[in-house]
Amino acid sequence: MRISYNWLKEHLPLGISAEELAERLPLLGFSVAAMEHQGPGFSGVIVGKVLSVDKHPNADRLSLCVVDDGTQKHPVVCGAKNVAVGQTVPLARVGAILPGGFQLTKSKIRGVESHGMICSVRELGLGEEADGIWAMDTALPVGSDLAKSLGQTDCVLDVEITPNRPDCLSHLGLARELSAFLHIPLKTSPQKKLPEGTIPCLDVQVQDPKACPRYVGRSFEGLRIAASPGWLAAKLEAVGLRPIHNLVDITNFLLMDLGQPMHAFDADKLEGGLVVRFARPGEKIIALDDKQYTLTERCLVIADQKKPVAIAGVMGGRDTAVTQMTKRAFLESATFDPTVVRRTSQALRLKSDSSYRFERGTDPGAAQAASQIATELIQRLCATPDLKISGTIDRDSVPAPKPIDVTSSRLNAILGTSFSEAIVESTLKPISAQLEKSGPAWRFTPPSYRRDLATPWDLAEELARLTGYDQIPYRETPIVLKSSSDLPSQTLADKVRGRLVSLGFSEAYNLDFISDKLAAQARLSCGLVRVKNPISEDYANMRPTLLTGLLQNARLNLNNGAQTLRLFELGKTYVPRAKEVAETTRAAGLLLGPAASHWKSSRGQRLDFYDAKGAVEELLAGVAGIGFLPLSGAEPMGADPLFHPVGALRLRLPSGILGTVGLLHPTVARAWEMEREEVCIFELDLDLLAGLHAPAPRFAPFSVFPGSTRDISFLVDTATPYDSLAATIRQPSDTQLKGIDLVDKFTGKGVPQGKQSLTIRLSFGRDDRTLQDAEVTAAVETILAKLSRKHGAVLRT
Amino acid sequence: MSAADLSELGKKLDALESGLDTAQLDLNALEAFRVQSLGRKGEVTELLKSLKELSLEDRRAVGPRVQALKTKFEDSIARRRAELETAADAASLQNIDLDLSLPASAPPRGRLHPLTQTLQEISRILSLMGFSWAEGPLVETERHNFEALNIPEHHAARDLQDTFYLQDIPLLLRTHTSPVQIRTMESQQPPLRVICPGRVFRHEAVDATHSAVFHQIEGLAVDKGISFADLKGTLETFLKKVFGPRTKTRFLPSYYPFTEPSADVYASCIFCSGSGCPICKQSGWIEIMGAGMVHPNVFKAVGYDPELWSGFAFGMGVERIAILRLGVPDMRLFFSNDLRFLKQFDENLV
Repeated sequence: MRISYNWLKEHLPLGISAEELAERLPLLGFSVAAMEHQGPGFSGVIVGKVLSVDKHPNADRLSLCVVDDGTQKHPVVCGAKNVAVGQTVPLARVGAILPGGFQLTKSKIRGVESHGMICSVRELGLGEEADGIWAMDTALPVGSDLAKSLGQTDCVLDVEITPNRPDCLSHLGLARELSAFLHIPLKTSPQKKLPEGTIPCLDVQVQDPKACPRYVGRSFEGLRIAASPGWLAAKLEAVGLRPIHNLVDITNFLLMDLGQPMHAFDADKLEGGLVVRFARPGEKIIALDDKQYTLTERCLVIADQKKPVAIAGVMGGRDTAVTQMTKRAFLESATFDPTVVRRTSQALRLKSDSSYRFERGTDPGAAQAASQIATELIQRLCATPDLKISGTIDRDSVPAPKPIDVTSSRLNAILGTSFSEAIVESTLKPISAQLEKSGPAWRFTPPSYRRDLATPWDLAEELARLTGYDQIPYRETPIVLKSSSDLPSQTLADKVRGRLVSLGFSEAYNLDFISDKLAAQARLSCGLVRVKNPISEDYANMRPTLLTGLLQNARLNLNNGAQTLRLFELGKTYVPRAKEVAETTRAAGLLLGPAASHWKSSRGQRLDFYDAKGAVEELLAGVAGIGFLPLSGAEPMGADPLFHPVGALRLRLPSGILGTVGLLHPTVARAWEMEREEVCIFELDLDLLAGLHAPAPRFAPFSVFPGSTRDISFLVDTATPYDSLAATIRQPSDTQLKGIDLVDKFTGKGVPQGKQSLTIRLSFGRDDRTLQDAEVTAAVETILAKLSRKHGAVLRT
Repeated sequence: MSAADLSELGKKLDALESGLDTAQLDLNALEAFRVQSLGRKGEVTELLKSLKELSLEDRRAVGPRVQALKTKFEDSIARRRAELETAADAASLQNIDLDLSLPASAPPRGRLHPLTQTLQEISRILSLMGFSWAEGPLVETERHNFEALNIPEHHAARDLQDTFYLQDIPLLLRTHTSPVQIRTMESQQPPLRVICPGRVFRHEAVDATHSAVFHQIEGLAVDKGISFADLKGTLETFLKKVFGPRTKTRFLPSYYPFTEPSADVYASCIFCSGSGCPICKQSGWIEIMGAGMVHPNVFKAVGYDPELWSGFAFGMGVERIAILRLGVPDMRLFFSNDLRFLKQFDENLV
């Protein structure tokens, strides 16, 4: 909300500068987003000297003056009584622009030419004072530009008003708040008694008083719609509103002054009396923004006997709006239910300054006050000689505010303070409609504009705010001692992170969204959780796998010249399941590029499937019962389409499928322009792991006797899987065999087509003694015989 | 033993002794010579073994000589070995082929994401202060994300949190970690103290200071007799642990639908210690988090009696703290996953 410092001072004799004000407002809970110093809202006005004052030949109340602007003398007709020879005055010469955009031209007033205008403070938009012209400080040099000499005349603060404080969305509201905080009484102007109505008021019926608790209205005849005077235009411009014409400007002025949205109808365009009702489905209205809206039965409208004429609390209708031609008007000042207005505004996707205030809650008390002040202003600014005003209609069903009963000790208990009864009273009194002692408790009746005050907690906040949060002491919580605990899922996540980092992986954070395009690139075409209101195409779906994010990251880093990539991410994945979402915590990794970038290392060695498999095995070291299965033929899973169907393994636990590790599918690799890389990926279900519990490791004794190793090299079909060879070597179990390691795998020169040469290192040992050479030799012979029998292995010599 | 035998033995000893010359042998030859003479079947060894067959008298006569010969062999071999090793060491000290200035061979080492590091540090501190871990789903119900937190449907307070909704599924992406508070209170009885760290979503345009995805850590304490003063004391302790013992705190009124009274919590600027700098916009204070006393409507929503229990809640943005601690100029960098960014942040060893 834009708050004009000058305007605020009209309600409250602040006594502090705009800068100080900006520093104090946050103490009350209102941050100041920006401060803007403003110069006067006019130009072309210069400092002049009145050389002579003569009576106007054709008008008693006008004078004919000659004003010197330092270089030229101007004949000016003036209507002010206080004009006198020798005065220094603001002279708006021909061409000057006054607040509201009004440009001065040569004019004839009662037959006499006037080449300018001597201005009042009010006409220049510098203040409220309207009694005659501004006789200025004589120190200003004649002929100087007044706007320049004055410099900054106002300061506009952009104050952030939280949704709970709609009462502060106005200058009066904020002044009230500051009055209670700074202990400065508000300026009050005596309520003028309006004359009795001389014409009947348009009838208004409210069908649903809950939707419209108060509706105040008044009819006018004999209006003159014209530009607003300078002071009014300047005020609106200061807070960022465009002056339109006097009647609309008056309503906008009250919106900003009291926070009461109002609407003026052209009474000649209304057909019969008004009714506040919910729209009939399909009813249409063209609003002031020239757009047509199709209403639903949840939209509240103001309708005449034929049609909706305004969207209640949101925007008036174009066809019944006040125009320059309007002679008769009906002025609405109502209170609408916040929920109803918000629903209407959301249904129509239409917002306005009015709906903003109504959906936060306006002051039903202000509805009548605003109508009253508006009427006074209309009398002053929009009147033809035959202005006629009706009495007021007031459909009021606002419930009386509920008082809050609370003791000072309850308030102190919430805050941890020890405020005395006297402080509680003096602090809460200024913001109450009524504060009285009822037994040991205070009975606080909130004013009509404080709909947010309903509980002792609300009053505790007021007490803290108005005395300052700094008054509350610092204390450490006297909570019942209870040890804190962690969550298995969280400790697991941290351990997984730690292990992957120690394996050389860097952690990525990707967004949980995936575009249709990326999903298609990753061959993930069906079964995605879709976002109803994505910000952009990139936010169309929730990710079913973490891998697309890592692929994006790999692409980016390769573009940036990275060679070796080891990336991982922990995060949620989402898959639709009936009317719900299956949300799973996963860990995914990606690796590619040279195995080592060191000058020492052999060239051409690149990270491959076995590095990915090794990383996964290391990560899962200690988890019992993990099995590897070929991906092909396994039960399908969400991220499968990203994996090479043959070049990947499924990881399985007794309790379910843990994940997949393998090569990237060539089609996916091509989509990310990585077909020339050997991209290895894995993804694991951490929720499944979190459910497991492995016993803490226990010491296992090892033999004190030296062991023996033997390398065996043999030829075997390339199609023979290594794990079947290893199984053969192990079976039947030989307790002397301590280890099997593949040391070399070779095909090519010297090895027949279709065969591979494998060298396997066998380790033997016993816990009770050193093995004899002959025993080891015999064991190796047995193993070779098994390999030969089962796999046709031929020993290489 | 006959005289002839004795003389035979004496010749053998003489021959062995005269053959003892290790001066020209290299290490391999020396070892071969050692095996040949002193090994298990070496000549000197055999000779020593043969002494057992002699009479006591004979043994007394020749034994010392044979022993002396053995010692002589041992000494000679040891001396030569020492000579050779000294020479070899001297050579290897001279002829080293090593450019010490060549770059090191770095083992691959990964990094935790700076947000993980920040999140872990904050939660470590709060754990030490007695807060337990809690977590909840990222896809949430309207009830947990809004209604139970005193944010009714069609209320202007919802404007504070623009929300992602799902298609055809009546769920949303949580806009804050506060629904975890609700889930915790629904499943546990007070007293309790929990922290809920995690990812949240806001439907807003992305720029240097806004992201549609970001992270929060939220804390909640419920017990009898907890007051705003306890909130202030706890958060002061926390902020001193995060930003250093000289950190000052400041509480200003604010509005959150689920707390009353509500506050925004500021720490004295860690860059200028409060004297004013561009980072704190010359105010000396940096906004760190939102906080307040749990709103009675929230307690009612989870079946706690607000007249019996009271509590406070606080929440902070992890990115914001990370930005302050690490000097990251643009929030989007956290989600760029550019290794040139990720590799910069390491947990300090000291």
